[in-house]
Amino acid sequence: MAKKIMIIDDDPDIVTYLTDLFTDSGYATCSAADGAQALDVVKAERPDCITLDIEMPDEWGPRFYRKLSQEPEFRKIPVIVISGLNATKYAVPKAAANFSKPFDREELLATVRQIVD
Amino acid sequence: MNEKILLVDDEVGIRKFLGIYLTDMGFEVATAENGRQALEVFETFDPAIVLTDIKMPVMDGIELLKALKARAPDTEVIMISGHGDLDLAIESLKHRAADFVTKPVNHDMLEAALRNASEKAAMRRELRRHTAHLGEMVREKTALHQELFDAAPCAIAVIDREQMLVSANRQFRDQFGEPGGRTCYQAFRHRQAPCGDCKAMQTFDDGVSRETETVVTTADGTHRNVLIRTAPIRDAAGEIVQVMEMATDITTVRRLQCHLTDLGLMVGSMSHGVKGMLTALDGGMYRLESGIRKADMEQVASATAAVGQMVGRIKSMVLDILYYAKSRALELETSDVEVFAEHLAALVKPRADLHKVRFMTDIASELDTFLIDVKAVSSALVNFLENAVDACIADRTKQAHTVVLSVSGDHEWVVFDIHDNGTGIDQETLDRMFTLFFSSKGSKGTGLGLYIANKVVRQHGGSIAVDSTPGQGTNFTIRLPREVPPECLRGEDPDEIAAAANEEPGTAEKTAAPKAGAPGNGKGDRPYCAWIGDMADDE
Repeated sequence: MAKKIMIIDDDPDIVTYLTDLFTDSGYATCSAADGAQALDVVKAERPDCITLDIEMPDEWGPRFYRKLSQEPEFRKIPVIVISGLNATKYAVPKAAANFSKPFDREELLATVRQIVD
Repeated sequence: MNEKILLVDDEVGIRKFLGIYLTDMGFEVATAENGRQALEVFETFDPAIVLTDIKMPVMDGIELLKALKARAPDTEVIMISGHGDLDLAIESLKHRAADFVTKPVNHDMLEAALRNASEKAAMRRELRRHTAHLGEMVREKTALHQELFDAAPCAIAVIDREQMLVSANRQFRDQFGEPGGRTCYQAFRHRQAPCGDCKAMQTFDDGVSRETETVVTTADGTHRNVLIRTAPIRDAAGEIVQVMEMATDITTVRRLQCHLTDLGLMVGSMSHGVKGMLTALDGGMYRLESGIRKADMEQVASATAAVGQMVGRIKSMVLDILYYAKSRALELETSDVEVFAEHLAALVKPRADLHKVRFMTDIASELDTFLIDVKAVSSALVNFLENAVDACIADRTKQAHTVVLSVSGDHEWVVFDIHDNGTGIDQETLDRMFTLFFSSKGSKGTGLGLYIANKVVRQHGGSIAVDSTPGQGTNFTIRLPREVPPECLRGEDPDEIAAAANEEPGTAEKTAAPKAGAPGNGKGDRPYCAWIGDMADDE
């Protein structure tokens, strides 16, 4: 069964982009537009990897990450931070990888492949 | 010695004998045989020294002495007294004779008396020359100081302990009016009571110069940012009797500083949005490429549309930045209101159609023309119209959405009414909507749009009113004068005009009740930085 990648970003254009990118590479995807609804999506979809934006209007990335890491069942899911902000590694210190927007497509795919497969 | 000496004696022998002797000593000598004649000769000869016998007919030596001292007090008068007129000789000293010698004249004594007298005369002349020179120097220096005082590139006022203006230089008089009978707080601040924390009064108390930055109001009512320095002025005894206040105008510096701060803030706050847009553009390109690869024409078409939209967003953002970065002067041209309005509608309609928002216009006829910067005003109004369309797109509660652009006018104003039945605007957004970098659209907005739109409208001397009910819709009314008022045409910053008019900078008239602590409060002392401070408060 294809691995599932979950995309969390408030910009629908970016969600579409990442969905296309991962789908074309043979992954299944799911998405959430902000941190608040993301945990419900995680529980329903059980993704293998999560890409996380930092700045989102309702609940920002680090807060979601904190909630995620309090869930024993899901805390091990690797999180890749993709953000327009600098110094994101301080925002989510345990992230599996950090990408800043605009990111290099091939590099992102290589990282995802490494983490998931 | 080449003093002039007048020798007065009734005895021709003495006149002759002493005359030769004095000439030998180097004096220029004239003679007279009594007091009266001596006074006549004195007039024309003008001697420094008079050597006179006491006892003479017609007018004696004492009388002559009195007359001379009355007429020319600087004249050195030496008395010659015979035997037995010692009392008279002593009396002559009371009338300020320089000295006396007794007959028969002892040459050594005479010589000593003459030397003293001529030295005194020379000294007196020197003193007079110095005094005259000093007076001239004082006059020159005073004039120079007055000139420096007047020409100093700052407004200077001198105040006394009662804070009354004692004197003021030219720049002060030009900007704040004549000092006469006014206090410094009346002149600088148009206040009736002293300012709290008066630096000048503190300088009065301890003699220490102080510096403060503040905003003052000139005689014609404009606000200026100034740097005020105080300095004590002491009297001869070292007591502080007055304090000088020097106000340097730093309005342009402040304005520039604000502009630079804005630019810095703008670059910082926009980088996130820009990165998002670039990523989305990458996404569009990817979709386009993969569509071409798969020969999926439907995907190619939708990706092309997405890329086009993204490019449009980036373009308008870049133009906004350029508009903000360079505050350009208005390029006014006479435009037909109807043609302008139709053009505006044509710009917005495709986007409304795309999102199934009904776009309607209600343009009155015979609207005549107005004088505007067409590019600036149309981009400002497109901004309002696109916001209206966005508010409709974002609304999920109503079945059908409509944006109506109504244009009307009278002989002075052209009024654009933009009505939508979208999401409506909440109070917080209403309060902040014209603030730089405020965006209610998350990563989609740059926070520049309405700020610039507001600036453009104000640059034209127009106004914006907003009436909105959350959940029901919004009505924007933009009023533009048919001709831009002169104070706007001087190229002054609209914020400055707003500050001078004592309005809330960066905030248009709002019909919704303003919330306490809304932006623009507390602007009083810093007309140019008011809204920057507000922004900081918002963070």
